[in-house]
Amino acid sequence: MSAAPILEIRDATRRFAGKLAVDHASLSLAAGRVAALLGPSGCGKSTLLRMIAGLEGIDGGAIHVRGAPVSAPDTFVAPEQRGVGLVFQDNALFPHLDVQANVAFGIAHLPRTERNARVAMMLSRLHIEHLAAAWPHMLSGGEQQRVAIARAMAREPSLLLLDEPFSGLDGDLRERVRQSLMDDLRLAGATVLVVTHDPAEAMMIADDLVLMDGGRVLQCGSPRDCYEMPVSAVAARLLGEAIVMPVTATAGVALTPFGPITGRGTSNGPADLVIRPEALELAATGVRARVEEVRFSGQSFRLSIMLGDVSIAMRVHGEPPQVGDEVCLALTPGRAILVARQG
Amino acid sequence: MALTGARALPRPFLSPIGWLALVAGLAVGAPLLGVALAAFGTETADIASRDIARYALTSAWLALLVGGATALSGTAAAWLVVMHRFPGREIFAWALALPLAMPAFALAYGYSDLFDVAGPLRMWLRGSVGVDLPFEMRTVGGAAFILSAAFYPYVYLAMRATFLNQSTNVLEAGRMLGCTGTSALWRVALPMARPALAAGVALAMMETLADYGAVRFLSVQTLTTGVVRAWSVYGSTVSAARFALPLLLAAAVLLWLERASRVGRSHESGRARWRPVEPTQLPLTRAWLASVFCFTLLFAGLILPLAWLTWNLAGTDADWARLGQALSNSLSLGAVGALVTVALATMLALGTRELPIAARVASLGYATPGAVMAIGLLAPASVIWGLAPGSGATIALVLLVLAYAARLMAAALEPIDAGLERVTPSMIQAARTLGRGETRAALEVQLPMARGAMLTAALIVFIDVLKELPATLILRPFDFDTLAVIASNYALDERLGQAGLPSIMIVVLSLPAVIWLSRRIAAARPGA
Repeated sequence: MSAAPILEIRDATRRFAGKLAVDHASLSLAAGRVAALLGPSGCGKSTLLRMIAGLEGIDGGAIHVRGAPVSAPDTFVAPEQRGVGLVFQDNALFPHLDVQANVAFGIAHLPRTERNARVAMMLSRLHIEHLAAAWPHMLSGGEQQRVAIARAMAREPSLLLLDEPFSGLDGDLRERVRQSLMDDLRLAGATVLVVTHDPAEAMMIADDLVLMDGGRVLQCGSPRDCYEMPVSAVAARLLGEAIVMPVTATAGVALTPFGPITGRGTSNGPADLVIRPEALELAATGVRARVEEVRFSGQSFRLSIMLGDVSIAMRVHGEPPQVGDEVCLALTPGRAILVARQG
Repeated sequence: MALTGARALPRPFLSPIGWLALVAGLAVGAPLLGVALAAFGTETADIASRDIARYALTSAWLALLVGGATALSGTAAAWLVVMHRFPGREIFAWALALPLAMPAFALAYGYSDLFDVAGPLRMWLRGSVGVDLPFEMRTVGGAAFILSAAFYPYVYLAMRATFLNQSTNVLEAGRMLGCTGTSALWRVALPMARPALAAGVALAMMETLADYGAVRFLSVQTLTTGVVRAWSVYGSTVSAARFALPLLLAAAVLLWLERASRVGRSHESGRARWRPVEPTQLPLTRAWLASVFCFTLLFAGLILPLAWLTWNLAGTDADWARLGQALSNSLSLGAVGALVTVALATMLALGTRELPIAARVASLGYATPGAVMAIGLLAPASVIWGLAPGSGATIALVLLVLAYAARLMAAALEPIDAGLERVTPSMIQAARTLGRGETRAALEVQLPMARGAMLTAALIVFIDVLKELPATLILRPFDFDTLAVIASNYALDERLGQAGLPSIMIVVLSLPAVIWLSRRIAAARPGA
């Protein structure tokens, strides 16, 4: 990444009634990248998004868009002057305007011919030319969303923010809409920040992942790095099931049932061993454990297994063992991560 | 500038929209303050405080009677129309609101003439049947009947809306838990509708306290007639203000009652599972009884008095020149009043979030009788008249429009507020991120979306201005007549035939608007 980042957030902090909603959050986003801001509801991700858009003030830290400060305790650029587009969770189309007029709303300052051309281009880029004269209440959820995105993109913002964009859709449709929409946004070369609480969705659409919890940014990185190399047990669980075993590290190494494992940045003291369930397999030899519970879940069986005094969950395909059986567990090398224990 | 703890965006004390709301709030607040200040003057007329107490008692008694009667008739009508099928139901659904087009004073003229001791009806009854009717219109009871016939639509409309809003699911749950159809009314529907009932009855009682034309004609002395008399007969603003103070207090109490009942708005069940109420067919006899009941309300509130006034027109000479002038005055006042009131109410509605107190002052204005508003404006008026003696008539008209606006602001505010509720916060924020400042976002998103609601508000104000009497009587320039003023003058001269024509003209002018409003309300459904 040689170019200056489009979005740079340093130690952004926001308090509501004394409580920290966003706590010294930092992240940066380069041009043309798609980032996902992932966290459980109430973790501050939507507040952070609104702070970037200028709909929320800032109590500490700074937000820069294209290198220029837009939010800081002594600086505040109004939302309409930030060059940031925001697509709301409910799309917020104007019901008194048709699709064209909605898309043209943000570019009223352009001369008419240029404005019309821009609207036509946005509609075709999002494949909704045929809806130009339709009214918002006539559109499906997916169509409304495309109009809302076209409306935000028509201003050619430096950065496009999407707040839980796929939450209104379900199942099959959700996947299809997501796929084609993200393809269109990539084709347009947009820099995008998506807020979501769905880990599978976040990993699927994002170049960069930002994990948030309790108002803090826990980890930034590629989806694969975040998944395979979590910085903490909490970060690991944000992206999916994780087996967490308490261990004690000495000089950066912990003795575990799977042998000694070297941690990153851990030295001495309590630590967590984090293993993704799919990194464990039933094998002929390995660490011995006892089956506590077997449940059928369609594609696979879900086992609860006691390993020493820790209960872990894993999945097996094919014929499962019986409750009470002694089994052997094999660990895929390199897939157990030792992290410092927090709080 | 630190923003610790503030949830809102950094902004000055008030935005431009907030300032507009402040101006609108002051427009209503000024006359209220005027009354309170005037009451502390010393130049009282020779009116004993015993009189004030007597008038207050009559007012209270009248308000209670009307409150009870409208609660019963309005609720029954709404329950029948919403929950049952019977002959004429579709028409009654909107037609039951039509008496709103009839000024209360016109009802009083019609009924007191029809049932006059020396009138044709009683003469005929005494002559042919040998009995006399056991009631008299020029009493508190008669006034209560007339005002109830005029004001029951307020309760009917509020209850109808709330019954329609109740989901079938909730009523069916009541049925499953052992309620019969009727006990579902008492145990489920009515308790859920209590906020609407309180609001509708409070409105009918406020109108009763504010009425001047009907009670004045029926010689029932209330606080409002006292206000007008203290000023017009004794020429004492101070005495008028002292009559007005208990009215202000009563207005505040009724308003508090109405507000307190709104806390229960959460009684409405969630929208997502809302299913429209499916009316049940009434068995034959009961179906016809339901039709007769609804027709009786409509007959008493509109058809009978209107027919009698029309019948009486025969053989009376009309002063067409004077009527024409009054018609044009009424229409211009109605139009200007509607325009100014809706403009102020819109300013208020846009700014309520920033300045909630302004909306509260506005609703106090609505509860305040027009006569009180007018008295409150007299004090500032005399100052202006003193400064610019030549501008009398213009100033008077400006003040009159201001009195209308102050009095009707809340009535206009309500539909506009409801219209603006359709604008979600994210729509406004979307406009912000799409390059609009706060003020332009309001102009380009909120106003266009509230256009229909503003038209509704304008019609409501227009109808009420046509019917308005006491404030017009007090504030109008010399020789400036409206239809209501002419009707009142003729009626007080016992020239009821001539009083009929301007009264009927008011009904004819406001009836289309009332029909339009009523049908619009009838067609509205949650989620529609």
